[in-house]
Order: sequence, then C-alpha cells, then structure tokens
Amino acid sequence: MKSRSAKSRTADLFAEATSRPERPAPAISTPPTAQPSPGLHSRQLWYAAVFPELAQSEPAALQRLCLHALQFTSFVSMEPPNALLLEIKGSVKLFGSLERLHADLEACWRRLTLPVLSATAPSTLAALWLARAGDLKQIEDAAMLPGHLAKVPIECTAWDGEQLQTLRAMGVTRLGELLRLPRAGLARRLSPARVQDLDIALARSFAPRRVFVPRERFGERCDFETEIEHVAYLEKALEPVIERCAQFLRRRQAGVQALELKLRHREGPATRVRLGLASITSERRRLTDVLCQKLARLTLEAPVRGMTLISGPLRGLSASSLDAFAGGLTGAVRDSAPQLVERLRARLGEKAVYGVCLIPEHRPEAAWRRVHELHLNDAPGVSEGMIDQGMPRPLWLLDEPLSLPPPEILQGPERIESGWWDGKGVARDYYVARQRVGARHSPGARLWVFQERQSKRWYLHGVFA
Amino acid sequence: MSVCCVVVKTWMPREGSALADILADARVWKLKDASAAAARPVWSTGCGSLDARLPGGGWPTASLIEVLLDDTGLGEVQLFLPALVACQRAAHGGDAPWLVWIAPPHEPYAPALAQQGIELGRLLIVRPATATEALWAAEQALSSGVCAAVLLWLKGTDDRWLRRLKLAAEAGGALGVLFRPERHRFESSPACLRIAMTQGENETCLDLLKVQGGRPGPVDLSGP
Repeated sequence: MKSRSAKSRTADLFAEATSRPERPAPAISTPPTAQPSPGLHSRQLWYAAVFPELAQSEPAALQRLCLHALQFTSFVSMEPPNALLLEIKGSVKLFGSLERLHADLEACWRRLTLPVLSATAPSTLAALWLARAGDLKQIEDAAMLPGHLAKVPIECTAWDGEQLQTLRAMGVTRLGELLRLPRAGLARRLSPARVQDLDIALARSFAPRRVFVPRERFGERCDFETEIEHVAYLEKALEPVIERCAQFLRRRQAGVQALELKLRHREGPATRVRLGLASITSERRRLTDVLCQKLARLTLEAPVRGMTLISGPLRGLSASSLDAFAGGLTGAVRDSAPQLVERLRARLGEKAVYGVCLIPEHRPEAAWRRVHELHLNDAPGVSEGMIDQGMPRPLWLLDEPLSLPPPEILQGPERIESGWWDGKGVARDYYVARQRVGARHSPGARLWVFQERQSKRWYLHGVFA
Repeated sequence: MSVCCVVVKTWMPREGSALADILADARVWKLKDASAAAARPVWSTGCGSLDARLPGGGWPTASLIEVLLDDTGLGEVQLFLPALVACQRAAHGGDAPWLVWIAPPHEPYAPALAQQGIELGRLLIVRPATATEALWAAEQALSSGVCAAVLLWLKGTDDRWLRRLKLAAEAGGALGVLFRPERHRFESSPACLRIAMTQGENETCLDLLKVQGGRPGPVDLSGP
C-alpha cells in the first residue's frame, strides 16, 4: 500500500487513512465483490450515470431508470437527485469487455432520449465526480485516480455551498489542489467527513451503497375476443389469471392483502373492483372466492372488453397464514376464520363485520368500542379493561339513552360519576328495573335504567336479554 | 329395534296392552330417536330443569334451534350464554371457536359479555343490510367450520332458507340459533328444537314447541 501511494505526492498525504477503521454500516448492503479491506478496492468498478436534465423533484423517474439499469448489473444504487451508480465489475466479463458494456449502456440511455454523462472508476465517488465534471473516462486502475481527479472542479463533489466557499476563499478550485493540502488541516477547516470522502474517491476507504430493490407486483392484462356482458363469464375468464397470480406469489414466497381488478369498456371509464383481504394470502381458492363474491354484487354498466388484475404490494408470507393442519370442531374444517371474514366483508361491506373490545372506563357508553382490525390468526389476547363482577351489565346497550317514566326497581343503585374532565361528564344512578305494562318494551323485560342525579329524570340505557 | 323390545318387555306385564298402543303413548320414550341425537355433543344450558327436558341433556350442536319471542329483554340470550362460554373454554389453546352474532337488535355490550366469560377476541358481529344477506351470512358462518355458534335475529323468513341453515349447521358442526317473532309459531320449521318465550306474571315462560327426540311442553325455569 505504502509503495503504491508513494507514486504520487498527493496520495501520500492521505496514506494514513488506510489504517483507519471503516465506518460501520451494517444496515446497508454491500455488493458481492466489496471487501472492507482497502487493498482490495480495485476489485470494484463503478459506473456513474448523471442525468443533468432530470428534474429534482422526480424520485419516480430515477426509480424507472434504476429498472433499466438492472439489466446490466444486479447492483444499482440511486444517487439523488439525478444520478445512478452501477457496480459493473462482475458484468464486464458477461458483456465481453468494458467497451462493449459501455456501448450497451450508452445505447440504453440513448433509447430513453435522456442526455447522460457517465464515467467509470474503481471507486463510487470518483466515478460520480468524474461524470459530473463531464470527464467521460474509463479508469480501471485505482492508482490512476489521483491524476484523473486532479482536474475535477470542486463543485462536482456536491458538498455544502459553505464548505465550497471556504475552499474557494483558500484558492482551491480543483480537486488536485485540494488533495495537496495537509490532511489534518483540511479536516479542521471542512469536516472529517469530507476527508473521508476524498479517501473514498481515491479508493482507499470504502463507502457502502444502498442497493436498489425493485418493487414487485403482479399485473396482468387481458383483452377479450368478444365483449362480456355477464358477470358469470367474467368469473370464468378470471380463473386462469388468478391461477397465474397465485403461482407468481408462491414462487416469491409472498402474499397479497389487496387486489384490484379493472374492467375496461368500449367507452367511459373502467370499472374498478378493489378488494381487501383479511389477512395476507397467496391461496388461489381464497382469491377466487373473494373476487367472485365482489363480482356477484357488481352490476355491469357496459359490456367488458378487457380486464387488468393488479396486486397490491407483495408481503412476506408468515407461517401462520398457511394453515394446512388446521383442526377444528369437526376435524374437517373447510375454511379458516380469515376466509370467512373476508367473504362476509366482500359481500356485506367492510364496516358490516366487526368485533368488540373493552375500554377501561367507568362511563358505560365509553367502556367498549368496535374493532374492525380483527386478530384472525393469532390466539386472542387477554382482554384488557375492567371486568367488574359487581353489578350486572345488560347484554344490549342502547345507542342513545331513552327517556322513560319511573320504572319498577328490582336492584340498585349503582352510582356512576365520571368524565367531568372531557366535557361529557355523567352523574347517574343505575338500577335494574322491570318494564311496566303498556310501555314500549314488552312487559316484564329486565331493563337497565338510570336516573340523572341533577334532573332526576329516568332514562333507559340497556336491556338484559 | 331390539332396544324397542326391551321397552316393551318392561311394560307388557303391568299394562297388558298391544304394542302399537304402547308406542303411541307419548310417555314411551323411544331410544332409537334419542340415540341419533345423543351421538352429537351437547352443551349444558346452565339450567337443570331445561337440561332434563332436552335430549342428551343440553343444547344440541350441529343443529338449528329456533327461539320465538316478540321482544328482547326476556333473557333469551342468557339461555345460550353458558353454552357459548363452555364451548369457547373447552377448546384447547388458541383454537377457541368463533361466535358470530348476526343482526342483533341492539349493540352487544362488551363489558356484559366479558362479565359472563365470553372471549371477546373470538366474537364477530355482523350487520347485514337486508334479511337475505343476514341469512346468507348465517349460512356461510354455520358451514365454515370455524364457528361454534351462530346467533341470528330475524323478523321473518321462509321455510326454504331455514332448511338451508339447518343443512349448513349440520355440515359445519355449529349450533345455529334463530330468534324470530312469535307470530311464526304455527309455521312449519325444520329446526330440531323450537322454543317459544313469553312473559308471564313474574317469570319468563318457556314453552318447547318441538323437540326432536324429546317431549314438547312448557318448562318450569324456576327449578334447579
């Protein structure tokens, strides 16, 4: 290392960087060829592509470019706002030579009609800076880096404007002048991170990059030869598509929780059928089941010419979703609870199927609430809240207390006085009472009534069923 | 048939009447029918005098029960709560079966259910928009095999749907309980147990209208 860095004076100043420990970055994935030891950095080859015309506010466009770049290497990293970094060491052999690979890459960008500046270097930052400088070089040897970087203007580093201003005030405009400065002083004047950047650019230190992972979804479009007018035929046409969707999910060990079906008509907007599943699944039978339930309730405005099935984001399939050995009351369970719930929800609506839970609260109307997110797979937890074994509670609670004449008291009172802090304070005496003849409820029904302590008026709040 | 003969032997010496007459007597309990019912597990009703009147000594599972009453508040759900709690407790580990309540007349009050011992995490409430949807939901829940009991409140329905519910309950091994107004009392019903609830002077009166494998008639609830 020493002998190689002695080749140039500028590199000598930074030689001590090699003995420093690497920045730990366990969360960020590294390319397969990457080694933390500095002597092996030349095993990486980075291709930087800068798209000067790419708008700053378009991360989606950069993602689309990543997808294009993925055909050349599996390691693509986004460099916002407008650049990509590709690790191409492994691809060189596959494409024959570096020149061939370059030509293919350039052809790819040309097809997109996007002006691009590109450079290749053994380190990430060197490639990026060279590309920004418009210095379209292909450097394979790390020892050549200091010489090539020397001409790059300091603006290409994309450091803070303030730091660049400091450098300009010092008379430094090119990286070569910067590299000649003593390391300690530079760290003090700028920041240690900038010195580290220079180390990275010179392939002495290694900076991990975050690999771009494309988001995957299932999507399939099919056009019908004849227009379909009946939902029953649609279901038939959907079957093979769902089969392929299930296969797609199975291969990726993933499941979906949402699907969207777009039905295209000759004119007018497409009919969208969205369905949410109660739990993540990849089972064909469940997907078909729920989709058909949704379709059965659909009235077709116009004949359907084609359809597109798009899955929601793919989710990892947890072991609990696969209930191959589900046992039950009769031994031969046909469905699982999530299946039942989503079938009910598909037809009756999301809000029509719910559970209830307790809330630790003294006011009767606030002591419970509806739960729409059901824990379908896991065992039910111990319900929190107060289970008061003292006074009986009615099975039915009225939405709003009803005014009623003084009833025949059977049991009570139970005083509930609470909630003065949130403006919905109550001061009530609760009784178990019996309905008198001729009233709204059948005579003799056991009621849960209360007398408001201030107004002394009686209200019906629940019924013991 | 051999069982029938045993019954006959014990009766013949005392009464000395023809076999047909004895079998026609309502007091003769035919073991053949009862054994078919007893093959299914039953859940205790929590009320001794009612248990005694039901074949097998409790609510039958995998069947449809019809409760006829005009208004809520007679303790009609209370009749089934001990059985619902027992079936949830009987299940091992996290496999507690689900309870589904379809179209209850008011909001089921969670603290009351918890007080009675119902596992709230395994209770599903369904609010369908129409009676047909309610029946459809009940059929789905009954036949799914994940529910232990399905309680359904309805204003009216036809015989065909009840038959479907009964078949679904038998297929899924669940207990289906249907609450209907009392005016349906004289309609035919495929339910294996029909109960009419009315309010008496002080007590709720329970009348067994139809008991498969048992004897119909009023039940004295005040017993042990």
